[in-house]
Amino acid sequence: MLNADVEVERRSFTVRATLSVAAGERVALFGASGAGKTTVLEAIAGLVPMSRGSVSLAGRMLSGPGVAVPPWRRRTGLLRQDPGLFPHLPVRDNLRYGSRGAAAAELEPLAAVLGISDLLAAMPARLSGGQAHRVALGRLLLAHCDALLLDEPYSGLDAALRRTLTALVRTLVRDRAVPAVLVAHELADAQAFADRLLVLDRGSVLQAGSPSSVVLRPASRRVASLVGYLGFAPAGRGLAGVHPDRVVPGALPDRGPVLTGTVLASRPSGAAWEADLLVGDTPVTCKLPDQPTGPELVITVLDPPYFGPDGNAIDRPAADARACPGARSSS
Amino acid sequence: MSSAPDTLGVASGGHGGVVPPGASTEAAALPVAGKGSKGSLPRLKTASAWVSVAGALVVWVALLGPVIALLAHLSWRAFWSAVSAPGALDPLLVSVESGLVTLLVLVVVCTPLAYLLARGRLPFPRVWEAGVLCSLLLPPLVIGLLLVFMVGPYTPVGSLIGHFHLTATNTFLALVIAEVYESAPYYVLGAQAAFGSVEPRLEQQASLLGDRPVRVFRRVTLPLAAPGLAMSLAVAWARAMGAFGAVVIIAYHPTGIPLQIFTTLQETGLASALPFALVLLVVALPLPLGAYVWSARAERRRRG
Repeated sequence: MLNADVEVERRSFTVRATLSVAAGERVALFGASGAGKTTVLEAIAGLVPMSRGSVSLAGRMLSGPGVAVPPWRRRTGLLRQDPGLFPHLPVRDNLRYGSRGAAAAELEPLAAVLGISDLLAAMPARLSGGQAHRVALGRLLLAHCDALLLDEPYSGLDAALRRTLTALVRTLVRDRAVPAVLVAHELADAQAFADRLLVLDRGSVLQAGSPSSVVLRPASRRVASLVGYLGFAPAGRGLAGVHPDRVVPGALPDRGPVLTGTVLASRPSGAAWEADLLVGDTPVTCKLPDQPTGPELVITVLDPPYFGPDGNAIDRPAADARACPGARSSS
Repeated sequence: MSSAPDTLGVASGGHGGVVPPGASTEAAALPVAGKGSKGSLPRLKTASAWVSVAGALVVWVALLGPVIALLAHLSWRAFWSAVSAPGALDPLLVSVESGLVTLLVLVVVCTPLAYLLARGRLPFPRVWEAGVLCSLLLPPLVIGLLLVFMVGPYTPVGSLIGHFHLTATNTFLALVIAEVYESAPYYVLGAQAAFGSVEPRLEQQASLLGDRPVRVFRRVTLPLAAPGLAMSLAVAWARAMGAFGAVVIIAYHPTGIPLQIFTTLQETGLASALPFALVLLVVALPLPLGAYVWSARAERRRRG
């Protein structure tokens, strides 16, 4: 169990985050670059001093009033984009660097799970990016860290490799029952990994919840922009958030508000088409299965979140009802 | 990093360590044998390639010229009679002893300074670096003169040393002091570069894996900086062995090899000084060469 209540002064703003991660649970800190995500991890690992707050891990107090356990006694494993293998040690010695002999019998089985059994004698300079990450992960696991902190570890790798490694980490976190925190600036990475998502912006947590509730029911327009809403069109009781992925062509009034817009531009995007529309005087971007033909386009925004003039979501009760199936809708 | 190991430059550059993230997919991993790691000869196909090799050869021979001249002008019989004269090898012993003590002082005193400089842990780092450069830029002869005013018998430092019944002029201590001043900047700057080439991220990672700072230094920082440290220590050794400018003023006695060469030259001429020049080379060079070979091997081992 990792409990962190972190407050770190940075040059332009203060980073404040509270998170509590159970053993085997996976939490993602999601936000734009420079939002303070890495700072939170580094405060947990003891690499940056906190101005206030506390960190406890597996029942041990790591930081708090009058307590500051140094990084080497925290047993927090940190994996960054640079795997940080020791270049002067072969893979085997890298793996057992933090294990102090006790985990020697564990090394071979873990290497097999990680798919690096053939590389134990190789030097790190000979490894590919993905292999180096597997070794770095194995090194943390053999050191028996009480928490896994992952700082965008795979952002430099290609998509297929990223998927494989994410799945591997998910399994290992579950099997070993350690709390895991992933920092990501790509929503897809955070969603693929985490049970729970914390949206961080300029040092503050704007919203916390399951990945789907955060994406489908953002608490504010700021969160909505961060998770990919590209337009806010007046509809019904306020501004409907338009996520490009949650738009279908045609009028389906029982599925959500129907908008009519002028096509400004369109381009291929993956296996679909992305179109920029002007709805009234609001620009909206949406994804469509086919290239739009005429100058006018009718779309339905599927069950969008609505935002009031203050930028906060209205219709929260409905959102809560959706998050907990069985609860009675009160709207 | 290309094929040739770093040349005599003290800083051994970046280690060929961590794979740049995302540089390649898994498939492209092991089979990529480092090209040129087996020392394959560059192919000379164009005229400009030939010209550049020829030019480099001329420079190389010119730089080696003095050594070639020494070997060409030295006869074995003259060498043997010179070194077998009674007491002829006493200066050799003095030089080696003072050189070793100098190295010890440098390692103990200057290594921490170099590490702090490399890690930016000192306030006003430029000021500290300027201080180190100062003894590098001052002519050795001037250093010798100034040392007399600094540690001579009638100075505060001199009288402090006197309390321990020591004198810092014309003694073994004076010789060591002079050699330290002449060689320290080479070691500090080299060691600073060697430590600077060790990524702080690696030290941080070792710390997170449970190593206290002393252990991090021993298990990560030192091994990674070792080739560069060895090179700079070797350069410092060569400077200490050959130290003359400051030595001739503050430590005329006991006589080391450089002074022996100088006095022999003055008293009996060029020819009789030559054998001692060879002695100096034979004593001063093995350590740098050994360090060079060792650090090149360490680099190669690291590249796998």
